[in-house]
Amino acid sequence: MSKFNFPSIEETNDLSELRKDVRSFITNSLNDKEFEPAADAWVFSASPQFSKKLGSMGWLGMSFPKKYGGNQRTALERYVVTEELLASGAPVAAHWIADRQSGSQILRYGSEEQKKSIIPKITSGECFFAIGMSEPDSGSDLASVKTKATKIENGWNLEGRKIWSTGAHLSNYMIVLARTSPASEKNRHEGLSQFLVDLSLPNVSVKGIPDMTGQRHFNETLFDNVILSEDALLGVEGKGWSQVVGELALERSGPERFLSHFTLLESFINEFKNILIKSGSKLIGKLIAELQTLRRMSFSIASMLQNGESPETQAAFVKELGNKFEKMMVETLREFSNIIPLYEWPSQLQNLFEDATLRIPSNSLRGGTTEIMRGIIARQLGLR
Amino acid sequence: MNEELGIILETTSKILSKHVNHKLRQNIDNENPDLTNLWTEVEQLGLPKIAVKDKFNGSGLPLSSTLPIIKLSNNIGTPIPLSETILSNYILSESEINPPNGIITYAIDAKDLKIIGNEISGDLISVPYLNLTDKIICITEIDNSKQVILVKSNTEEKELKKNFLSEPRYNLKLKKCKILDIKPLNLSINFKYLGAIVRSAQMIGAMEKILDLCIDYCSQRKQFGRALSKFQAIQHQISEMAVELAASSAALSTITNSEVFYKNNKDIAILKIRAGSAAGKIIAISHQVHGAIGFTQEYELAYFTRNLNSWRNDFGNESYWEDFLGKDFLEKNNQNLWEYLT
Repeated sequence: MSKFNFPSIEETNDLSELRKDVRSFITNSLNDKEFEPAADAWVFSASPQFSKKLGSMGWLGMSFPKKYGGNQRTALERYVVTEELLASGAPVAAHWIADRQSGSQILRYGSEEQKKSIIPKITSGECFFAIGMSEPDSGSDLASVKTKATKIENGWNLEGRKIWSTGAHLSNYMIVLARTSPASEKNRHEGLSQFLVDLSLPNVSVKGIPDMTGQRHFNETLFDNVILSEDALLGVEGKGWSQVVGELALERSGPERFLSHFTLLESFINEFKNILIKSGSKLIGKLIAELQTLRRMSFSIASMLQNGESPETQAAFVKELGNKFEKMMVETLREFSNIIPLYEWPSQLQNLFEDATLRIPSNSLRGGTTEIMRGIIARQLGLR
Repeated sequence: MNEELGIILETTSKILSKHVNHKLRQNIDNENPDLTNLWTEVEQLGLPKIAVKDKFNGSGLPLSSTLPIIKLSNNIGTPIPLSETILSNYILSESEINPPNGIITYAIDAKDLKIIGNEISGDLISVPYLNLTDKIICITEIDNSKQVILVKSNTEEKELKKNFLSEPRYNLKLKKCKILDIKPLNLSINFKYLGAIVRSAQMIGAMEKILDLCIDYCSQRKQFGRALSKFQAIQHQISEMAVELAASSAALSTITNSEVFYKNNKDIAILKIRAGSAAGKIIAISHQVHGAIGFTQEYELAYFTRNLNSWRNDFGNESYWEDFLGKDFLEKNNQNLWEYLT
């Protein structure tokens, strides 16, 4: 089990200072009514203006090199900033994917030209990304993607569909996983490549899919023979699978896997503190214990990322445990409505609770299902 | 981990692995010469006094550094009261009592303790390994000040407590027992908190072993023409165990890596809650994937799961610490949850 250690990392004074700065920035934004705290804000609540403001504070692309307009700060500093934003339910959806994973992918695999043209815009909060992995016929079985990129003179021809791409309708780019050569009989993971696709190109169409709550955040994107320039290929032709696995470690390990509905918990406690003191301390204690453990694990992964490690399995641990925690939290609050009926809750709290209840089934689907997480862990345990 | 501790761990692992096998564990209740040999080597290594001050011939390591050793000992399933002796000796040494050699155990709880002159009477509850020693420490309050008392028990009055623990445990009626030493308790942390930390480290050591047992067993055992480990239903159950274990280990590393862990009751509560709830899940799943063989005395799984059942209840179960943690936060007025967490 030694390979699944999560070494304890202390928060230094510098990080605590940064935390304070972000917190007072958020308080000011709230006072100026720049946003309304939302549940699941990193998926649902997009505000390009707010993203731009964060960029001007130097809180996007934090760990990117200065050379490309980044802030050259640590993954731990980025962790602190994202935690504070999530805990306040701030509207971070617009830039979330670009800041979390796409920027790092480009820095790692992109051409000099791409780095120079795109990274500064991610850092300033003016360039947004969507994820191009799932397809109508490829969900958990990602290696079965059918979207195809064919080599043509001076570039590539892209043909296929991507689905469930959160925020594609607001995004400038999508990193598309496509097949560039047939899978070999032995290894389906061969022959896949990643492409950096400008969504404003001709023959790209983005169509919204309302989710079960009626909101639009995810999309189906059609690539009908889209002509890509040669340098749209991100990284190495045929190595898309290993690139995408690294990207998923960034996607799965962050605090959004357990803080998506934190605003609900905080408002709930603030509202009912007096009653909770008398009869709810055990419930709250249980939630605190789990949440704090998750924070430590996720922070520990941030430090692994900082050290250049690839904590893909550890990320699966955090995602699996975080998903469970969020479900348990909503369930715990629901049971409390036995003491104070839901209709007596303040309306803002009711809304947050109902939003969370409806959205919670998606938390163990997006970014990889529970089944996939357990499969990844089982493989590392030597069971597969 | 510092180099010194690394070397101690390596040597400890060699010595324990040399002596411990499942047969030794099964004879745990009896007077056992093999156990005596094992203890002698452990003592030669200096483990019992590893957290004792230099002036009392100890190694003077901070208690948090002893946790990896305690975890290791229980990972190997060593049926000796090492954690009890380390903790008792630490408490004695901190309270300026020179710890005697040999095994010392403690009473997890005590009732109606009365001291007259140099003698003590009353009930000691849940005393581990009293078959191997007659020296016990207990903690009681006299005139509003906590005292640590080192007692030599008169063996006639002990009652073997059959519980779900694999290790022997006793209730003991003290009748005018001789007090070897008594001093004001000098600990920067409540005995219950210390016990909770040590039991959690023990649980995590045992859970690591249980996970390994499950992986080995399911990889070897074939049903329906293939190894159990090839069934997705089994893979997912074992993955769940690994997740529970990783979360508990993360909670432990917070304590192990901090020399001032005793300042933070919050982290202790989190550790005991996390390890205790993981134990519940891991007991259930490990027995499920093992089938009937896991339910026998002959196979070693049950030695570990029985201990878990007991340790998760010692020094406050999950409910106790959840309530503690919840109150700790809720009674801090003017602090919202996010401020409390960060």
